[in-house]
Amino acid sequence: MSTLNSARPRVPDEPKEPELPQPAGPKLSGRAKLGTKLTPYGLLVPALAVLAVVIGWPLINLIIMSFQKFGRAQVFGAPPEWIGFGNYAKVLSDSTFWEVLGRSLLFCLVCVVFTMLLGTLIAMMMVRLTKFFRLLLSVGLLLAWAMPALTATIVWGWIFDTDYGVINNVLVNVFGLDFQQHSWLINPVSFFFVAAIIVIWGAVPFVTFTVYAGLTQVPDEVLEAASLDGAGYVQRFRLIVFPYLKSIFVVITILQIIWDLRVFTQIYALQGIGGIKEQTSTLGVYIYQTSLGSGEYGIGGAIAVITVIILMAISLYYVRQSIKEEEL
Amino acid sequence: MTTQTPLAPAATRVRPPASRTAGNGAVRRRKTTTVVLSIISVFIFLCAVFPVYWMINTSFQPNNEIRSSTLHFWPDNFTLRNYYTVLFEPGRTPFLPALGNSLVVTLLTVTIALVFAFLASLAVTRFRFKSRKAFILTILIIQMIPAEAMIVSTYRVLDGWHLLNTIIGLTLVYVATVLPFTIWTLRGFVNGIPVELEEAGMVDGLSRSGAFWKITFPLLAPGLVATGVFGFIQAWNEFLLALVVNSRPDMMTLPVWLRTFQTLTGTTNWAAIMAGSTLMAIPVIVFFLIVQGRMTSGLVSGAVKG
Amino acid sequence: MKKKLGVLALVAASALALTSCASNGDPGSSGAPAADAKIRVWLVGTDTPKEAREYLTTTFEKENPGSKLIIEEQSWTGLVDKLNTNLSGSDSPDVVEVGNTQAAAFTSAGAFLDLTKEFDSLGGKDLLPGFVEAGSYDGKFYAAPLYSGARLVFFKKDALSAAGLTVPTTLADYVSNGKKLAADNAGKSGIWWPGQDWYNALPFIWENGGEVATFKDGKWSSAFSTANSLEGLKQVQDAMVNASRAPKDGKEDNPQVGFCDGTSLQLSAPSWVKWSILAPADSETPGCPDQEENLGVYALPGKDGGAASVMAGGSNIAVSNKSKNPELATKALKIILSDEFQTIYAKNGLVPAKLSLAKELGTDEVATATAEAAGKARLTPPSPKWADVEAAGLLQDFFVKIAQGGDVESLAKELDKKIDGVLNG
Repeated sequence: MSTLNSARPRVPDEPKEPELPQPAGPKLSGRAKLGTKLTPYGLLVPALAVLAVVIGWPLINLIIMSFQKFGRAQVFGAPPEWIGFGNYAKVLSDSTFWEVLGRSLLFCLVCVVFTMLLGTLIAMMMVRLTKFFRLLLSVGLLLAWAMPALTATIVWGWIFDTDYGVINNVLVNVFGLDFQQHSWLINPVSFFFVAAIIVIWGAVPFVTFTVYAGLTQVPDEVLEAASLDGAGYVQRFRLIVFPYLKSIFVVITILQIIWDLRVFTQIYALQGIGGIKEQTSTLGVYIYQTSLGSGEYGIGGAIAVITVIILMAISLYYVRQSIKEEEL
Repeated sequence: MTTQTPLAPAATRVRPPASRTAGNGAVRRRKTTTVVLSIISVFIFLCAVFPVYWMINTSFQPNNEIRSSTLHFWPDNFTLRNYYTVLFEPGRTPFLPALGNSLVVTLLTVTIALVFAFLASLAVTRFRFKSRKAFILTILIIQMIPAEAMIVSTYRVLDGWHLLNTIIGLTLVYVATVLPFTIWTLRGFVNGIPVELEEAGMVDGLSRSGAFWKITFPLLAPGLVATGVFGFIQAWNEFLLALVVNSRPDMMTLPVWLRTFQTLTGTTNWAAIMAGSTLMAIPVIVFFLIVQGRMTSGLVSGAVKG
Repeated sequence: MKKKLGVLALVAASALALTSCASNGDPGSSGAPAADAKIRVWLVGTDTPKEAREYLTTTFEKENPGSKLIIEEQSWTGLVDKLNTNLSGSDSPDVVEVGNTQAAAFTSAGAFLDLTKEFDSLGGKDLLPGFVEAGSYDGKFYAAPLYSGARLVFFKKDALSAAGLTVPTTLADYVSNGKKLAADNAGKSGIWWPGQDWYNALPFIWENGGEVATFKDGKWSSAFSTANSLEGLKQVQDAMVNASRAPKDGKEDNPQVGFCDGTSLQLSAPSWVKWSILAPADSETPGCPDQEENLGVYALPGKDGGAASVMAGGSNIAVSNKSKNPELATKALKIILSDEFQTIYAKNGLVPAKLSLAKELGTDEVATATAEAAGKARLTPPSPKWADVEAAGLLQDFFVKIAQGGDVESLAKELDKKIDGVLNG
């Protein structure tokens, strides 16, 4: 569907211009046509059924709740009271929410930029490595990727531990710096520095593997032509390689934005280790604290709805592109 | 589960990363670059692996040496005691049932999600129908919903279906969690397989569905693997829902089990947590190693052609 | 033929639906409480000794032939999340333990069975008063005390005597002792006090005549910035900054580690920490049994001598409102509050739920100090919203800033505003 779709290595003898997927097939009788019409719906039924039951219904509940005064007593059976946009007004007029939002957006931005940058650079490097080093690197990245976020945070938190952490120990004993009992989490900036390391460390492998796989599909002739022209590496990448990978970049960037803006586990677990909660909460943690922690489910619902709207706004460009292409 | 996927030879025809033919003068320069890059790659490898190493290293040390002012960069007082504690210590929530629950839930999730997503991706790529766009948009938006806000609602839905503390209930939730991404990714992948191949098969006398299964499905193997890995990691590591939905100790999954090593009395068995984490990581790594070759090639076509 | 795929999908979907229905039979069939009922008891953490668990199961099953009692051990991590959901569901446990400061959130929400009628048969006036208050709401009694742990000060005898100090008799002495110890022993904590530990700060407020929060005319008002409270908070800051070398944003976890490696010379912690310190060196969480001779303990002294009012930690226990067998569950609760069961707690160093059993704690140093401290133990404000203050981590954040040397008065004012918002929100 995308016009750049020449990257399709599994089928070497494919035609240059990809055919648009069409309801092709032999001519059908009237009855069979009706069957064809219903088939896609039939194919969607299992997925839709699961999504409707497990996501759809709770989502409707959530939206309803966001217009109600819904606290713990309501969970245990008290009738909820409708308050219109009361929860939304409360959230939007609360300075804490805006602080949390700003913090989350900034953190998300930093994480996405560094994840994409590092992931891409490592992927480009992998193309040029010898087989041994490429394998070595893949294994390392795989191990990092396989590590559960919760465990990773515990381990990283420990590496940065105030009393017994490796980092402080090395900084003091090897470099002779004054990091004796230095707390890495007490200062919010430093807290997010550690959090970003954990998040980026966990996300880079996905980006690397995806981009690498994409790079292996850029035709050799293209790269060669570029290097013969004497184009510099950056130039060559931007002008020749990037267009091939554009759709990959768009998709993984969107996914990274969604994941990083909603980040929960790493921040939540890190707050358990140290730091000041009110200065380090991000959207995911804030929603959790509001709804499950404090039992304000109505307000939590309102924040969740607002979050989705923000994410939709951010990915609007992409969604539009996507729709345009679908129309082809 | 991937081993059950019929793999046609065609699926392995992934182009190996090409060794580029060097331009005339640039040979030497290229060699030095390669050396530099190799050194950098070792450095990155170390950065990526260090936390993993630190976890394993700790898990083999006696508990009283972990929190001490002298660092042990390798387990010089090697012990298996922590693994014994985790696996066999009486009075502990046992590891094996939790492992069993986790494995069953995860494998079921991956299998069901892949099958459902395959069907759905066929629908959105091979057919034109009303509300197709709406469906695609919906699965993108679903991924944006913060799961933390939905826990109570999800709990009530499962309760309504009497699925609390069951494997099926948790699986159902996880399937729904990974489905959007899986459909999204597979859709791009199916798009990458030309319809002509199916048509050719039909000319050769296959039925339409026969052509799907015999031609398209095998070609999808790398895509299925790539998305399967994602689903596997998600389901394997999920904590909050599993904690709330499967509250009976015998229905616990591994991430929840891992948390039983922290007590109110404020004594944490760090070495045991590390040993438990290591054990928890092993199945994931094994799964990775099995599917590794197919994964990289698969990652592309999926995410990719959104 | 094309239909086949669609049909296949439908079959898959309906198979899913069928399997989900098939598992319907699982939760106990409704109707009259069957003789072969199962009672599920949630005990949290490993604090309840094995002996007590066995006593509970065997006694219950003997008294109620045919019925079974199953203890499901839960962890403190995520307990509130679990209670929030599970107590409202159809698969609710019957009897649940809940942290004393968490109890109010559930009593006020109607999660627990009203036990007012059982109050006297459960122990009546003999039950720990502060915990009864924590388990009551709107004049009704919902959650009984389970056990309590008083906070004591543990110290290294040799360090104290080396500094020429004796066990302090007033709160001011306690702080100045700590400062002297820290000054004499560079790099060590005279009082080990990580910044997130707010439990140990409350006695300073209470002893100086301050309050955490007061209730008047239907409104709560947080009282950290009153003159009396500020006095106490300044003492807290003095101790945190000048006597403690613990991480300023650390948690009060694993106090035995610093004590055993010699970096903590004094620390205030729940009485059961004695067992963590004296745990065998090769145990799961190793202690240092060789320090037994050197381990001293006293109850935190009050402002003018005697024992200070300390913060009581511990648990309440209640019957779920959704229990299918409330009568049996109440019977189980009665066993838990029986003298026999509670004595087992006392023998294990936990303060039992009944005042009359305090003598069972024993007569050693720790026991007498525990009894002394327990007698003056206090709890957090009995507001249903108090748990939210804890959940939001307001106090942890506040004391971390205090430990960093922040301005006490302005921080306290800021905190009061936040807590007022939560308690009256």
